[in-house]
Amino acid sequence: MGEKWIYWFNEIGQEYNNIVGKKCANLGELTKAGFQVPPGFALGVDAYKRFMTQTEATEMLLKFLKDFHADPHNVADTLKFEEASEKMRAIVESIKMPTDMEKTIKEYYGELCRIACCENVYVATRSAGPVSHPGQYETYLNVCGADDVVFNVIRVWSSTFNTRSIIARARLDLPLHFDPIGVAVLTMVDAKAAGVMFTVNPVNGDVAKVAIEGSFGYGEAVVSGNVTPDRYLVDKVTMEIEERVISDKGAEFVYNPDTKEMEYKELPPDKRKVQCLEDREILELTRLAKEVEKHFQCPQDIEWSISRSLPFPKNIFLVQARPESVWGKKKKESVLGKKSGMELLFERAFTPVKVKI
Amino acid sequence: MAEAKKFPFADEVVLPPELEGWEEMYAPQRLFSKDREDWEKRHFWYQDKIHAPEPLYPLDDIFQSSWQIALSQFTTRVFCIPPAQGVAQRILGCYMYITAVEPPPPEIMGEKAERFGKRVPYVFQNYNKLWDKWYEKFDALGKEMKALKVIKEFDKYVPEEEVIPYPKGYTQAYELIESFNNIVNMITKAWQWHFEYLNLAYLGYLMFTDTAKKLFPGIKESTIGKMVAGAEVSMFRPEEELCKLSRLAMEKPAVAAILKKDISVEEKIKELKETDGGKAWFEEFERVKDPWFFVSCGSGWYHYEGSWINKLDVPFSYVKSYIERLEKGEKIERSFAEISEERDRLVNEYRKLIGTEDDRKSFDDAYNIVRTIYKYAEDHLFWVEHWFHTIWFEKIREFGELLVKYNVLQNTDDIYVFNRFEVPMLLEDLATSWALGEGVPTRGKYWQEKAAKRKKILEAAKKWLPVPALGIPPEEVAEPFTVMLWGITSEKVGEWLKGGGGEVVTDVNEIKGFASSAGVAEGRARVLKLMEDVVKLEPGEIMVAPCTNPSWAPVFTKIKAAVTDIGGLTSHAAIVSREYGLPAVTGTGIATAVIKTGDIIRVDGSTGTVTIVKKA
Repeated sequence: MGEKWIYWFNEIGQEYNNIVGKKCANLGELTKAGFQVPPGFALGVDAYKRFMTQTEATEMLLKFLKDFHADPHNVADTLKFEEASEKMRAIVESIKMPTDMEKTIKEYYGELCRIACCENVYVATRSAGPVSHPGQYETYLNVCGADDVVFNVIRVWSSTFNTRSIIARARLDLPLHFDPIGVAVLTMVDAKAAGVMFTVNPVNGDVAKVAIEGSFGYGEAVVSGNVTPDRYLVDKVTMEIEERVISDKGAEFVYNPDTKEMEYKELPPDKRKVQCLEDREILELTRLAKEVEKHFQCPQDIEWSISRSLPFPKNIFLVQARPESVWGKKKKESVLGKKSGMELLFERAFTPVKVKI
Repeated sequence: MAEAKKFPFADEVVLPPELEGWEEMYAPQRLFSKDREDWEKRHFWYQDKIHAPEPLYPLDDIFQSSWQIALSQFTTRVFCIPPAQGVAQRILGCYMYITAVEPPPPEIMGEKAERFGKRVPYVFQNYNKLWDKWYEKFDALGKEMKALKVIKEFDKYVPEEEVIPYPKGYTQAYELIESFNNIVNMITKAWQWHFEYLNLAYLGYLMFTDTAKKLFPGIKESTIGKMVAGAEVSMFRPEEELCKLSRLAMEKPAVAAILKKDISVEEKIKELKETDGGKAWFEEFERVKDPWFFVSCGSGWYHYEGSWINKLDVPFSYVKSYIERLEKGEKIERSFAEISEERDRLVNEYRKLIGTEDDRKSFDDAYNIVRTIYKYAEDHLFWVEHWFHTIWFEKIREFGELLVKYNVLQNTDDIYVFNRFEVPMLLEDLATSWALGEGVPTRGKYWQEKAAKRKKILEAAKKWLPVPALGIPPEEVAEPFTVMLWGITSEKVGEWLKGGGGEVVTDVNEIKGFASSAGVAEGRARVLKLMEDVVKLEPGEIMVAPCTNPSWAPVFTKIKAAVTDIGGLTSHAAIVSREYGLPAVTGTGIATAVIKTGDIIRVDGSTGTVTIVKKA
């Protein structure tokens, strides 16, 4: 066996960004820093490369592409890309994983099952590109059993051939048949509630606040915008919950064991307007958010999930952390204009107070 | 209910017929007037519930008219805050209305800016030294007033030594008139000094609020209050001294036992004096009494509120409850170290969140400025409204007693229904009668009838609910202290207007005020309209009061949350609640009118909302 292509989360960190993809690198960094992250492992971009080159996949894709002609800048050709995507994904998903790789992945999965004390633990297989393309590739939740894990890893890889990805590559004049990404395989949290939080108030950029959005069930409900989440605003210093907006959350995103599919299930009327988090959970999330921000040294956008079966505070998991994209990117500029206290006093004294009525 | 755009003008307000004749109690410049109508109608007036929540007794009005001059002059003529002018007052139906005077012409602002630039930095740079000087002169003034001699009775003949070897040349007739003139001068001067640094202290506070909000747009006013507030301020000393006295009593079980008895204060003092331990304790009480128990049982603004030193059952009942708590092993003192530590923690943590070094430097500088001077805002209150006013009320009583002795008035306190310009008439009348010889009548009957009529008017005024404001609400208020001191915000005015502008709405289940101290509490309401009602308070109840002051402090150890009608984020109730970690909503305007004792209410000190969950 050559280069290493599979890693436990605690073996990797931010410096592995190009090796395992951003999401895996961040999950590794959080794990190493001691945050509670669901147990899991990462397949590096080399795993993708191995799979694509050590099997007939590349050859078959190139063969198919030889006769494929379409203009990515022409909207009318979208249909052509859709058809091509369908065919390419079918090719990739029909190919069997090299035996040594399959064996290793199954061993790692077996270890996750042992950690969870369960025969076949539910996991999520999540895409992790070296450059962040939110929502470009695909993620599969509640995957269960070693064979399904292997198959869903291939499905994540094959999502690099979904329509929007190949159009994106075609527009940049990049090869269509090859786009290595990492895959995170992590234990599912049986979420009673989940959501996102920012270590800055996204509304006004106030760095002294943590803004939390959450809803019942799995976090996809919040991330996708399919439900109106509850909103909480907590002050980092006083640790007071200063605002809470309890929304009519309508439905929760949950796993249906009968259909083995994730689905939106309507909430009973008496639960729709119930606060999805306990106050102590809100405060613990805030504490974690502050820690994560301190670790990464910049405002963070964090995904979290709260288990329904574990006791507080062990029930709180972080499932993603990345730099906050709006305020985090702003150049740190002085807002007080280098003024002395006396200058600020003059400013105040010379300005009339406006009371709008 | 109709939503009005304006409040009635003063001449449109219909007063109850029982108030007929109220105007003659106050000097003409205190009233709305036809001759100043244009100017008056250009301004928006609102009832000053902070300083004059009740009808004004004519002599108590001296504090008000004194602060009108003092507050305003420090803004306009001394420190020259460019866009701001003074705060004007008018009395209507025995209630006081105030307005922020419209901004000055632009050329005046320029002139003021120049002076501001020179004078204000000087004060900030030398504040500690200036404060020492202030305290020294204020203390001397208080002592001078205490030493003021008011004659107890007229001599039949001037004593020999005032004639031989050198005639004094003047008599008690002159001394009486002089002593009242002097005491009026002293109270006026005390009020001049009251504002010496107050405007700048508030300006510093507003500046720091601006600074903090630029750095942290969502920072709460209550958090800023915590960052700025001092722990060791004179206002808290009365309570501290009671704690010390309670601990002292604990050292001698026999003393503690007497203090715990359910007997009158007079009986307690008598029993204490019977033993050495008791005597020693009472001596200590007497020793700290001046200045620390010269504290009003109310706001200090009304003669009838009384002070601890003349309502001894108040401090003694606190001592009783402290001793009982000490016996249960509870802590009674506030930990000033903890308060200071928490304040420093808040400031440091926020400081760390600041993004750039430059901003951190500006923040530090701004914070130092406000911390230097803000203690003035906290300290002056005890020395002026409590200590000095207590001395004044004690002295005025002596004048009242003299007038009663010679049948000019019937009751000592009737002196308060005559204003500061009228009292000299009564005194001159009395002095004249003495000078004229035997058997010369005063106009006692006339004064007494006047007093009786005025007392009736004031009683009627108490029952009247004055309109909250007069005139057209402005788009801009340039006087920087209006918001901070009186809590007049657009929301508040909007709420008043919902009532049609002419009446106060009391039939509601939710009331809004300032989010003064965070947290949520639910429980039984106890409405305390008067200090005397404090004894009825049960542990764990939620206090609902017009406003609180230092003499109420011991109450805060018993309650679950606090709600007041009056007061912003820096009001006494707000400060003390934050220190005790109690939720508080202040400045609701109407809590004591809407909430009844026994109602179950929920106080959300984070949002400033009080909800009546269940009516009693």
